[in-house]
Amino acid sequence: MADPAKLELLNRSTDAGGFEVIRIDSLRAYSAYKPSRLPQSDWEVTAQPKSADGTRQFVLRNLRQDSYVLLNSREYFLWNYLDGRHSLEEIGRAFHLAFGAFDYLLIRQLLTKLYGCGLLESKRLLDFQLNRGTLPDRRQGSGLRRNLLRWRAMSLRVPNADRVCSLIYERGGFLLFHPFTFWLCLAAALCALVLALPFGQNASSFAYFLKTRPWLFSGVMVASLVSASILHVLVHALACKAHGRRVRELGFFLLQGIVPTFYADVTDIFMSSRRARITVDMAGPMVEVVLGSVAILAAQAASAGLAQALLLGIGLALWESALLNLYPFNFLEMDGYNILADLTAMPMLRQQALALIPRLYEQGLNFKRLARAEWLQLAYLALCLISVFIYVILHIDGLRALIRL
Amino acid sequence: MELVSEFLKKVSFCQDLNESARSKLAELLISKKISAGAIIFREFDESDCLYIVRSGRIIISKHVQHQVDIVLTRFHPGDCFGEMGLFDTSPRSASAQTETDSVLLRLDRKAFQQIFSDEPEIAARICYRLVTVFIERLRATNDQAREAIRWGLEATGFSVAPEHAPLGRRST
Repeated sequence: MADPAKLELLNRSTDAGGFEVIRIDSLRAYSAYKPSRLPQSDWEVTAQPKSADGTRQFVLRNLRQDSYVLLNSREYFLWNYLDGRHSLEEIGRAFHLAFGAFDYLLIRQLLTKLYGCGLLESKRLLDFQLNRGTLPDRRQGSGLRRNLLRWRAMSLRVPNADRVCSLIYERGGFLLFHPFTFWLCLAAALCALVLALPFGQNASSFAYFLKTRPWLFSGVMVASLVSASILHVLVHALACKAHGRRVRELGFFLLQGIVPTFYADVTDIFMSSRRARITVDMAGPMVEVVLGSVAILAAQAASAGLAQALLLGIGLALWESALLNLYPFNFLEMDGYNILADLTAMPMLRQQALALIPRLYEQGLNFKRLARAEWLQLAYLALCLISVFIYVILHIDGLRALIRL
Repeated sequence: MELVSEFLKKVSFCQDLNESARSKLAELLISKKISAGAIIFREFDESDCLYIVRSGRIIISKHVQHQVDIVLTRFHPGDCFGEMGLFDTSPRSASAQTETDSVLLRLDRKAFQQIFSDEPEIAARICYRLVTVFIERLRATNDQAREAIRWGLEATGFSVAPEHAPLGRRST
């Protein structure tokens, strides 16, 4: 690391009438720096449930910028001192008294987080921070890499998503979250499940019907899945509104830069309870469950033939989609993953798990030093790897057919 | 103390001058003793001469706020400062004060203009060297600006590196 930058000031206000030169290095100034957070009216904080290692995390929301940041309990302790009246040296002392040790790196990382989220009072720095996005980024490197980044960032958004969702919610959307609706959906799903079982005996005849009209079958299937996907994210958004929180965005993007996906940005649900978050996560897949059940019930009512085969195919595809959504161990941040992250009170589980591997490698694969939360992260990674492996094995025939095509 | 013309050998903008040219220039210089802590000129003062440090140490500073200036640089024997005053009638861009007892050699604009008219070859040699002085100072200013920004970033813990992923939940 470079030596601390030095600044020399010439102070003329001496009694003798001359001047004195004062040298201040940046580290000295840093310890005297009194960071000041935004006024209380501009942010809100919510305590999260205790995580596996017994610590509690906090979500801070910047109401000016509508940005969120996750703080651990130590960072939250420091946050409470960032009132513009305490220098970093004083804060460090208070931290030392409370926790027995203090590392300035901790506060440096916290300040970086808070600057990034615009939670510290410093207009000029914030302007710089905001304008940073418009500057050419040298790290982007080659044209190919730049295009890949652009591709990954590609998205389409519904303007005024929150207002649109509020309107839909007020004009009938609220009915979806009535207990009666839930029990009705559950009953429909159970009926469909019971009725779907005997269909297994006629699987070959359904396959025969579908093979006769492959383009029709593919078209109907894609249209059904896309429509269900749109409804899925809309219901997520409505569930967020049902808990009185804001929908930041509603739109379309490439999940992990690959999978075309509709999405609803419901980050504001972090400011609500864990139960509310799990409700929002569950609400989306319920759409596929209900629509799939309706399709299977309709297949049951239809006479044998192409229409019945199509309805059954759609029903099963939607159920599979719901299952995939609810399965947490696939490296993707889908609904099941979000539920897992909420249950373990580790909102950044995937990122932390992926960051753990290089760290573990640097520590010489010393597993003895791992904390309980880190074991959970490792378990998540292992289950993801196993699940992906099993998924590939189960679909190997399909993959072979694709390669042959 | 050595002769002024001999001393001028050490002065950067006189490097290309021969003995006779240095003697001619020495005749135009006015020597001045200044005690430590005295102000030579202030920022925004009228600018009409260049100074050469013969002995002592000079601090160049620029006003920041109240009674406080930021120190831009220090000049030692053989260095010159205030060279902008030879070419430009704009006010002084910074203040100069002695850090220790010093002796300065002053070259007025009028005297410099006289060299231009009487000894154009000497003037050209001086100007060529002064351009290299300007270039060095410009480089130093760039480094200083970078250091000042680094200081500000380090002193406030501000980092432009995106070291954390923002919290977000996109339900898909």
